[in-house]
Amino acid sequence: MYGWIWRHLPGNVWVRALLSLLLVLLVVFLLFQYVFPWAEPLLPFNDVTVDEGRAGR
Amino acid sequence: MTAGSDADRDREEQPAAQESTTEEASKERPVAEPPVAEPPVAEQPATEQPAGEESAAAEAAPVRRRRAPGRIVTAVGVFGELLITAGLVLGLFVVYSLWWTNVIADRESDRQSERVRDNWAHGDGKDQGPGGLDTEGGLGFLHVPAMSKDEVLVKKGTSAKVLNDGVAGYYTQPVKSALPKDEKGNFSLAAHRDGHGARFHRIDKIKKGDPVVFETKDVWYVYRVYATLPETSKYNVGVLNAIPGDSGREKPGRYLTLTTCTPVFTSRYRYVVWGELVRTEKVDAERTPPKEIR
Repeated sequence: MYGWIWRHLPGNVWVRALLSLLLVLLVVFLLFQYVFPWAEPLLPFNDVTVDEGRAGR
Repeated sequence: MTAGSDADRDREEQPAAQESTTEEASKERPVAEPPVAEPPVAEQPATEQPAGEESAAAEAAPVRRRRAPGRIVTAVGVFGELLITAGLVLGLFVVYSLWWTNVIADRESDRQSERVRDNWAHGDGKDQGPGGLDTEGGLGFLHVPAMSKDEVLVKKGTSAKVLNDGVAGYYTQPVKSALPKDEKGNFSLAAHRDGHGARFHRIDKIKKGDPVVFETKDVWYVYRVYATLPETSKYNVGVLNAIPGDSGREKPGRYLTLTTCTPVFTSRYRYVVWGELVRTEKVDAERTPPKEIR
């Protein structure tokens, strides 16, 4: 998987390393901005209120 | 960036110039060493010249093995990479929950608090609801010296959307909270224990007798903690009642209830702290805080 990506990046080793770093940063950004905020309410870590048994608070 | 990379390529070109064109060479290098014949050619000798099989195979074999590993090997490799990726993503999620959400929430609550203070200072009454209370932007500030030296903005509602801004919210359901100015009732609040500002993170430091002060535009409401409940069911909505259940009080009064989740980092149970109003104090021109939080 990662090998495949590496082989398909253009340029020499340094260009590829830079592009890889940019890809990693892009993935982290997408996770922090969209994926984690979406996933968080589905996980049982941060419900702080008392309620009558309705999930997802 | 482009200039630099071009320079890099130029530097590499010169020694290799005799062998091949630069673009091709750099593209193929990780797969096969440049001096080895190009892959399409390498496969042909095996079929065309049976006599030269030995030498051709010796040349082609390493190329082919690196090119196309067995399907199972590939599958195991990809599976392993997926597992590593999953581990990294979970690690990142911890970083997100315990650090990044705090950064966001601190920024957001600072902004909102400032706006409320601004409104109070030059109160044109534009954004304010009935009774001089700005219920949309924020009701006021909670000061709990035993828990934190920082004030906590209090807003209406306990939905994730409200609480995730690093504020405390007063309940609108399942039991509607009273407001501090009400004659009788329970002013019930919730805030995050971890992440999203973690405003009630140190709620376990609050002991019986500690002061809790709620600041509105015109009045300081001074409460004193009279009971704590370190662990209760998350369905125990009775703790929000006008006469809070399980707190030991049986007469109507002006109560304050703080709820959050416990133990830390989970939402298994709820932690509850109750206070009752001791006195109120008019806010003076300098907004001198009452002696409890000075």
